[in-house]
Amino acid sequence: MIFNRSIAFALSVGLVALFVQVSLAYAQDGSALRVRLSSDIRSTDPGTNRDDNTDAVVLHMVEGLVALREDTSVGPMLASKIVASSDGLRYTFTLRDGVKFHNGAPLTAADVVWSWKRYLDPATGWRCLPEFDGRGMTKVLAVEATNPKTVVFKLERPTSLFLTTMARTDCGGAGILHSSSLDSDGRWKQPVGTGPYKFGQWKKGQYIDLVRFENYASLNGPRDGYTGGKKAEVEKVHFMVIPDEIAGKTALYAGAIDVFPEVRSADIAEIQKKPQVKIEVAPAMDMYAFLIQTRDPVLKDVRIRRALALSLDLPAITEAVTEGVCQPNSSAIPSSSMYYSTVQRLGYRRDIAQAKRLLADAGYNGEPIKMITNKRHSESFDSAVLAQAMAAEAGIRIDLEVLDWATQLDRYTKGKYQTMAFIYSARLDPSLSYEMISGPKSTQPRKVWDDSLVQEKLAESTRSSDRAKRQVLFDELHRKMLEDVPFIVLFNSVDAVGLRANVVGYKSWAPAKPRLWNVHL
Amino acid sequence: MLSYIARRVALTVPTLLLVMVAVFALIHLIPGDPAQLMLGDAADDATLSQLRQHLGLDRPLTVQFARWLLNVVHGDFGHSITNGLPVLPLLLERIQVSGTIILAAVTLATLIAVPAGLIAAWKQNQTVDVAIVAGATLLLSIPSFWLGLLLMLQFGLKLGWLPVVGYVPLSENFSEGLLYLLLPIATLVMIESGILTRMSRASAIDVLRLEYVTHARAKGVSESQVLRRHVFPNAFGPTLTMIGVILGNLLGGIAVLETVFTLPGIGRLLVDAIYARDYPVVQGVMLLTALTYVFINLIIDLCYPIFDPRVTT
Repeated sequence: MIFNRSIAFALSVGLVALFVQVSLAYAQDGSALRVRLSSDIRSTDPGTNRDDNTDAVVLHMVEGLVALREDTSVGPMLASKIVASSDGLRYTFTLRDGVKFHNGAPLTAADVVWSWKRYLDPATGWRCLPEFDGRGMTKVLAVEATNPKTVVFKLERPTSLFLTTMARTDCGGAGILHSSSLDSDGRWKQPVGTGPYKFGQWKKGQYIDLVRFENYASLNGPRDGYTGGKKAEVEKVHFMVIPDEIAGKTALYAGAIDVFPEVRSADIAEIQKKPQVKIEVAPAMDMYAFLIQTRDPVLKDVRIRRALALSLDLPAITEAVTEGVCQPNSSAIPSSSMYYSTVQRLGYRRDIAQAKRLLADAGYNGEPIKMITNKRHSESFDSAVLAQAMAAEAGIRIDLEVLDWATQLDRYTKGKYQTMAFIYSARLDPSLSYEMISGPKSTQPRKVWDDSLVQEKLAESTRSSDRAKRQVLFDELHRKMLEDVPFIVLFNSVDAVGLRANVVGYKSWAPAKPRLWNVHL
Repeated sequence: MLSYIARRVALTVPTLLLVMVAVFALIHLIPGDPAQLMLGDAADDATLSQLRQHLGLDRPLTVQFARWLLNVVHGDFGHSITNGLPVLPLLLERIQVSGTIILAAVTLATLIAVPAGLIAAWKQNQTVDVAIVAGATLLLSIPSFWLGLLLMLQFGLKLGWLPVVGYVPLSENFSEGLLYLLLPIATLVMIESGILTRMSRASAIDVLRLEYVTHARAKGVSESQVLRRHVFPNAFGPTLTMIGVILGNLLGGIAVLETVFTLPGIGRLLVDAIYARDYPVVQGVMLLTALTYVFINLIIDLCYPIFDPRVTT
């Protein structure tokens, strides 16, 4: 008996010691900011092997010549001055003084030329290469250093999207790298950039650590998107891979993480009620929509597509699936865009009687319409379920088909669907918003709106830099879209981020990517 | 014995080949590919085909398979499409995490369940038996992820005794690493001990009815000796088989638990790889799982003669 008691005592002491040790190990001392990542990053190479999480992490380490401002317009970052020639074929960038790479080397025009030469090499696999090699918006004919502080880009044709595309997060902000980012064989090693944090350690599947860059040369002024003043106020940013939503929330409540990005709309109310936790919310630019296959035997009739749009109570769907957090938006242009005008506010108003009349005129006899959806984006799934019920009131029969995201993406890319509840990632310029939906289906089956007139207007919007002229074009496109009903836009989501109460300075914003400079505990 | 082992090992070759063909075919039959996922909603045909070419996905499936198989024979499992890491070291690193949890949990579950089953059988239809059977039934009815979340909420969030997310390898810091593993192991122990208790009880009841047990009791052998010397060895065979099945199933089935507790194990690797259509990783995990399954079953088969001399190799 005495022996048993001794064992029990020893075990108890051991366990207490363990608890104390771990409590000390994960006690927060304010030097590190712990941030949830819903999945591991794919690489540290900007804009190549990437996804949203990869972009978010990498853009703390690298910066481009230009960057997005808070309002998603484009401003100078590593450049102090940008001059475009009157014909739009020549851009001259003057580099900022005092900027250093993480290895201490000063930023020079030669580094910009080296970085761009690498991006323009197909072997790099840069995601945005088609936009700069002539297949997309333009062709970069030359990138030349005219002196150590000046770089000149020569273009084949002018485009209003040149700087915007350079600043795109999925392009890695066309981050300027030092050549020591590659090993002696020319293979990617790690980013040696100019950002406020530098690469620390990446334990695949578990975490990635970024450490403060002490010699960071910040722009003056307050935080302004990916440009503006940046100060790394914590020594380390510790991104932890926590795929499970509930585990992530539990970690936030327990104080095991400080920042929880990508909070679902439905969880915002729950998080707001918790003590020691707060939430930051800002309108985002991604877009939830119902895509309609206009080549489908049933849906090629615009009257049936219009009837579907009129059968839906879009404000009610938005209110229900986002718990009132998001506002309905029927435009392809995000409501946070500077081009979101009064015309863009026009949308469909539910009218069951009119929907029934249109269906009768079109000879619709209750043929089933399949709507593809997925459970990765719960708002998308919930929208589809509500649409099914609402459309039934007008006599439209919708059958839901729930697929995994990769399969749905495959169907989307091939255009193999009747309708689908889909989410488009953020587009930073209205021309890009319309480009993602409009185009010839014969060569690009993923496009939902195949109309030559629309494509002409879209091309015109990419050539012009005149804001008023572009606004007129976008307003015309919106009115035409409401007539043709190639898809039905529901809403733009929000960038909702859960924070421990002691996190100071964090700000959500339209591109919905965490920015961990100017933030402290 | 050696020829038996050699025969069993040789028999695994066609099994593994079949597994590899089936896995390769199935994963490639599912729509969607890594190139599409990487490009997302902006994937135009030209860029897609360029990326597919870059990833080697444009070659005929038979060529891709033959190439992969040839490389595997030479010990090269390829590289992950997602992050470019070599697959074999990745698998070995991840299986250590899952293996530690599974082995610890199944060992503990066995140590709890076998005596519990024997006692329940011995006290059949009495209060103790009813209590053990009810407890076991309850445990095996609870989904592992739910039990895991409950434990996490209670011990991680409410009491704050244990970490809720993260992982530290035992080799790096044993005591800290152990704390990260306590909740997942406890969850698995509770779930698996339910199944093993039921199995252990059922086989012990069968053995307790046999004549040699009655004979032993008639000779005046004590009840504890009857249970230890006569009932346990003869009733353990079916439980041993069940342990083998559980070990194999957990290799794939632990994915949910690894996701809940954010453990970098082999199950989570597989699930992530399937969603990302990371073909080399999926094929590597499945091959390793099949190999481990076959190996476990071989070990279990070789253990039978220890408990039942009638079984010969």
